[in-house]
Amino acid sequence: MKPEEEIGKSRYKTYLLVWVTLVILTGMTFSAAGMEFGRWAVLIALAIAGTKSGLVLNYFMHLKSERLLIFKVIIPLVMAVFLVFILLTFSDLAFRGGVK
Amino acid sequence: MNEVKTSVFEEAGDYTGAKLGMWLFILSELLLFGGMFILYSAYRYKNPVDFHHASRELEVLLGTLNTIILLTSSLSMAASIAAMQKGQRKLSTYLLIATMALGLLFLVNKGFEWGTKIELGIYPNSPTLLTRSKGEVLFYGLYYVMTGLHGLHVLAGISVLFVMLILILKEKIGKTHFTPLENSGLYWHLVDIIWIFLYPLFYLIT
Amino acid sequence: MTSNMATENVRPRISFYEDRRGILSWIFTSDHKRIALLYLIFVIAFFFSGVVLGFFMRLQMLAPGTIMGPQTYNALFTLHGIVMIFLVVIPAIVTVFGNFFLPIQIGARDVAFPRINLLSWWLFVTGAIIVALSVFTGEGPPDTGWTFYAPYSLRTTVNVPMAVFGVFILGMSSILTGINLVTTTHRLRAPGMSWKRLPLFVWAIYATSWVQILATPVIGITMVLIFLERFFGVGVFDPTKGGDPILYQHMFWIYSHPATYIMILPAMGIVSDVVPVFARKKIFGYMAIALSGMAIAAVGSLVWGHHMFVSGQSDFADLLFSLLTFLVAVPSAIKVFNWVATLHKGSVVIEPPLLFCLAFIFLFSIGGLTGLIQGALAPNMHLHDTYWIPGHFHYIIFGGMGFGLFAAFHYWFPKMFGRMYNRKVATWAWVIMFIGFNVFYFSMLLLGWEGMPRRYYDYLPQFRTLHLTATFGSWILIAGLILMFGNLFRGLFRGEKAEDNPWDGATLEWQIPSPPPTENFEKIPVVNRGPYDFKEFVKNE
Repeated sequence: MKPEEEIGKSRYKTYLLVWVTLVILTGMTFSAAGMEFGRWAVLIALAIAGTKSGLVLNYFMHLKSERLLIFKVIIPLVMAVFLVFILLTFSDLAFRGGVK
Repeated sequence: MNEVKTSVFEEAGDYTGAKLGMWLFILSELLLFGGMFILYSAYRYKNPVDFHHASRELEVLLGTLNTIILLTSSLSMAASIAAMQKGQRKLSTYLLIATMALGLLFLVNKGFEWGTKIELGIYPNSPTLLTRSKGEVLFYGLYYVMTGLHGLHVLAGISVLFVMLILILKEKIGKTHFTPLENSGLYWHLVDIIWIFLYPLFYLIT
Repeated sequence: MTSNMATENVRPRISFYEDRRGILSWIFTSDHKRIALLYLIFVIAFFFSGVVLGFFMRLQMLAPGTIMGPQTYNALFTLHGIVMIFLVVIPAIVTVFGNFFLPIQIGARDVAFPRINLLSWWLFVTGAIIVALSVFTGEGPPDTGWTFYAPYSLRTTVNVPMAVFGVFILGMSSILTGINLVTTTHRLRAPGMSWKRLPLFVWAIYATSWVQILATPVIGITMVLIFLERFFGVGVFDPTKGGDPILYQHMFWIYSHPATYIMILPAMGIVSDVVPVFARKKIFGYMAIALSGMAIAAVGSLVWGHHMFVSGQSDFADLLFSLLTFLVAVPSAIKVFNWVATLHKGSVVIEPPLLFCLAFIFLFSIGGLTGLIQGALAPNMHLHDTYWIPGHFHYIIFGGMGFGLFAAFHYWFPKMFGRMYNRKVATWAWVIMFIGFNVFYFSMLLLGWEGMPRRYYDYLPQFRTLHLTATFGSWILIAGLILMFGNLFRGLFRGEKAEDNPWDGATLEWQIPSPPPTENFEKIPVVNRGPYDFKEFVKNE
């Protein structure tokens, strides 16, 4: 895509809306921390952080409007790689005492 | 138009290529911090109570404020690029300066946070810290390294944006050539995203 | 018709050597071919240093007893590992042949980011200097092994910080090269050069570059952490502060296992390009080879725990990693089958490039099979940290990557330098190296099987025969290396002028002059055939 054609996707209103959502989500994660979610607390925090990141990636970083396959692939790719690294590491850490 | 999927040969100045290169660099940065997040998860998993206690010592309000600051700086960054694309050079410049100012404000706040802790004798290898439980020692080790590394990236980002400012003033960035600005923006948003995760994982541990 | 290029040029063309002269025009170049040669010079110098270090290791191990203290021996094997792995085997094929030939093979004039390419080289040299400095500063070179395991690496008083910092810088160089080559492959292919028409060498470099981008940051941060722990006592890997040394091993091997695929995939790419040319036959199973490379990159990132079976990690992790390790053998085996199938019923032309590829196939297979043996948990308990392990990895890295590198030397030499080496001498060098190699490293496998521990500076008398044999084998191997390099150097200065396409290759680099002009192509070619379509090629001559 030629640079000039990129202009269409940059809009102040969208950015403002995204920003408001981000601030709201920040507030949500802040209040969630004060509540008793037990084991779910980490997952909720990560879910909110993930959503916030998704907004930044898709709208501020324009990933949503990218057309080429490579751009659609790279973030899922890095997430998969990270997931694999952490899960396999935990296959050690979480089972040191033996499989129950 | 990319009508031939096999033919992507373009003359020098490939906008998409430059963007792709920047994205690939961002991937590597994500995994750099990812490595630290693996360590963080491991030690939090092993020391859940200690991490919770240490987390409560951090200044949550300052951390939350810093989060809002960075989010706002991302807004101003994106808007700055949009303005440049629309030919609104002055607005773009002001927004860019705002972004840098917010980044600096973030670092100042971080400095205060660190300063307070250091005055209390809580820093890696300090006698005070070593009297605490292992989990807390690890928490602070990770805290300093991860927020420190992040802070370095904020500083690097501000420096890059400063270079962009110069380029704008020298009219090397404009309505038809804004690739460096956009790529710098991508880097800035990356720095924001990392903080989006650091914030709850350090300040809001329940 | 094929490309627009005529191989005979009406007017004389300036080669990229003559384009601009003087050392500054080299160290500040942005020409991918010059950068490739800059890397080549240093990689060869580092290879020689690594061989010298190895020579002294083998001298120490020639007979029971000692000619040096244990500290010296520890430093020797540490440096041998650091130099060979980070300064030779990981970078070599990608930075020399990837840089030189990937752009040409896809029909481009250069890489996507030529100046970043130069920066990569500058970082490479800087990192190497820092590593070298660690030998001469502080309390001397690291003695931790190239693996820098915590907590010893946190405590030992020798110059670990400098060495790990050097590795960090080298990692940055590698990441930037990976970014460059991925972007180049996506964006700079000539018209008609679809993904399915790419030479398999390009596919291999592409897969490798992804591993460089995604895995290297993890060792980057790990090296930074060692540094921070030594200077600030952060505590992340220090058991006295609650840290877990096994976590260090996880972080280290999360990169360092995929790093072995950074080493081997490009070499496999070379074999995939060379074998068809000398079998005068299309590669058997093009997509299988292309995709198996990607599969190796992917699955190879899941197996790192097989370096840690006896480290104290959980039994569950042991089982999981062992299973995954067996899986990663499959795509490698696919390649071996396909290469052999390509040779089968081909019109085989015996030339040095092919000889090195045949050796690759044989030696890599032994390496791979020994890998399966040690990848099984029960044998691993006995074989870990014995000579079996260096036996295995030298078969893979030296027998595999090394011979692949030598194949590349002999294949692309005429293109890069416009001259031909003495093919008879090259063949003799190959014979000597092959014999020396097997005498040397098979003895290591046997030593390990018998229980000889690795990284020991002395040993019990029962191991003397095998050690003697191994050392003799190493001398034969070195003799072969000297002959090979001597022959190549001689060819550089006194070799006959080479034609543009001495091997009748069908990939794009053979359609341009030897050596190429700076801009590679007078006009960017329009590609309308595959990289191994020889019949058409012959028809149009």
